[in-house]
Amino acid sequence: MTSFLQIVIEGTLVGLVYGLVAISFVVIYRASRIVNLAQGEILVFGALFLWTFTLGAEHLGYQVPLVLSIALTMVACILFGMMLERFVFRPLISQPAFAIFMASIALLILLRGAGQLIWTAETRSFPVILPEGGFNVGPFLINTRLLLGGLFTLLLAFGLHHFFTRTRQGLRLAAVAEDHHIAQSLGVSVRQAIAVAWILGTVVATCAAVVLLSGRIISLEVAHIGLKALPVALLGGLESIRGAPLAGILIGLGEALAMAYLDPLTNGATSGILPYAVMIGVLLIRPQGLFGWKKIERL
Amino acid sequence: MLPTGIHPTCYAHEARVLITPRSRVWLAILIAGLLAFPLAAGPYMLGVFTHMFITLMAVYGLYVTVGMAGQINVAQSAFVGVGAFATAKLSEYGLPFYLVIPAAAVITGTVSILFALPAARVKGFYLALTTLAAQVVFPIVILALPMSWLGGLVGMSVSPISIGSLTLSAPIHFYYFTLAFVALLTVAVFNLKRSRFGRALLAVRDNDVVAEVMGIPVFKMKVLAFFVGSLFAGVAGACLAYFLQFVTVTSFTLFASVWYLGMLIVGGVHSPVGAILGVVFITLVQESLHDIANSLMQSGASGGVLFALTSVALGGCILIALIFEPRGLAHRWQVLRTAFQLWPFPRN
Repeated sequence: MTSFLQIVIEGTLVGLVYGLVAISFVVIYRASRIVNLAQGEILVFGALFLWTFTLGAEHLGYQVPLVLSIALTMVACILFGMMLERFVFRPLISQPAFAIFMASIALLILLRGAGQLIWTAETRSFPVILPEGGFNVGPFLINTRLLLGGLFTLLLAFGLHHFFTRTRQGLRLAAVAEDHHIAQSLGVSVRQAIAVAWILGTVVATCAAVVLLSGRIISLEVAHIGLKALPVALLGGLESIRGAPLAGILIGLGEALAMAYLDPLTNGATSGILPYAVMIGVLLIRPQGLFGWKKIERL
Repeated sequence: MLPTGIHPTCYAHEARVLITPRSRVWLAILIAGLLAFPLAAGPYMLGVFTHMFITLMAVYGLYVTVGMAGQINVAQSAFVGVGAFATAKLSEYGLPFYLVIPAAAVITGTVSILFALPAARVKGFYLALTTLAAQVVFPIVILALPMSWLGGLVGMSVSPISIGSLTLSAPIHFYYFTLAFVALLTVAVFNLKRSRFGRALLAVRDNDVVAEVMGIPVFKMKVLAFFVGSLFAGVAGACLAYFLQFVTVTSFTLFASVWYLGMLIVGGVHSPVGAILGVVFITLVQESLHDIANSLMQSGASGGVLFALTSVALGGCILIALIFEPRGLAHRWQVLRTAFQLWPFPRN
């Protein structure tokens, strides 16, 4: 029983990290109706920015205080997000959804290649930003890094939800996601909305990178988390920011339980397949996800 | 636009792929050139061409699913993989290649139907996500199955093809073998567009509501689009398995799928000519990057630089194509051809 509850706790905490990555999908979708498959790569870029301004600068002989390097990383992220908007997605405004989907796929391999060219493919250690180790609550061991990350995820989810539903700026973004043409004709700047979407998306992805990687090893393979968070975002509903952490917990729990109880029987496959099986199930049964907006289509 | 002096008198004439006599001459020259190519080329070039033919088969399949039916498929490489593993398994039982290749194609098609079923409920990019799931799940499943089934992490060797007393082993054998198949599939894909089935797919792509009203079973057509596209992928996988004589799961990644899609987009999604031009163009880019990467490696760059360079080049190519020429190289080719045919009269 103890081990079962321990698995539940760990699954929940890992699930919240998935939820955080899923939020970065959702903010981009909420503000521009683009599902960015390259989100994993963007997360890796955020992580590599942070590495460059901390350990990378240290290698070159500059001692940068942590606060300053985090600030620099955020600036780099914002610039990066603006660049993506300006050079990739602004020219594609009003193109069919197919073109935008393909652009995000092209971005996926472009960023993967660019990351390898700029930073090379070697693995490197990520600076310790969140406290390491864990503490005991009764018989259970709780990982401090993941707990802080989970709390951050929940706070962020409620903050962003408030932003998107209660502020004027956030509602404008929602209007753009609903229909570019109508939003434009009502005086909402589509360009600005998409720029904000990408800046939010890159910043949230970088936060996710910090939670996921703090004190661990960073390599280009980490980008795989993006594909893992996609089922989470779909399960929660692509429009729902508060749905993402909940869906993350569900998938994280399912994965942890499958890893513990079913993987020994299936040679390690169940936990890997589970998120995608859930994704196909969601698409078949409830395409809008748990909390997404139900789109009414004729026919 | 047709050159002056060509007046179709019946529908069959108008529906021809090669309308002018001159285009038939050019095609004959192309075929003769491809047949005579091994006389002039070394084994390396033959290998490159064989690879290009196999890629072209897979991209043809993608053209049917993506270009004709408008359903995004980001799992073509996984479907090629299914074909390759089916070939490896079937050839292990000693079946001859003329049974193995159709069987591999049908197996691949059947697997793809599994992932096309959500088309009943969702469309557009949501459907693309199910194919993404197929792509991600494929290696997990192969690796988890017992070693004796599909080789697991190690992979499987494929017994070579023997036709009569000849066992295919030299590059020139595979060149002609794949050339024959790619020719067959080219004829198929050019004719598909003119068939009832092909027109139904086009209707589903252009407006599925109208297609349904006109009596086209949209759901069935979407599933069939995946099925037919994967038949092509299955043949490509079978040829790849025979060519490499070894299959491992690591060759069928999401990246390869994106490559196939990228080739189609750069070439132009809306015509089979686009598939050909895209594959040839990207292969050219890749080969020239090969040289650059080699010289970079000699000057001390690290290993994966070739992969990185090609990724950047292909990603850049797709983005440029999407932003500046969404109709792809095929449209440019059409413009050029029209200008050539109408000369000395001005276009328009």
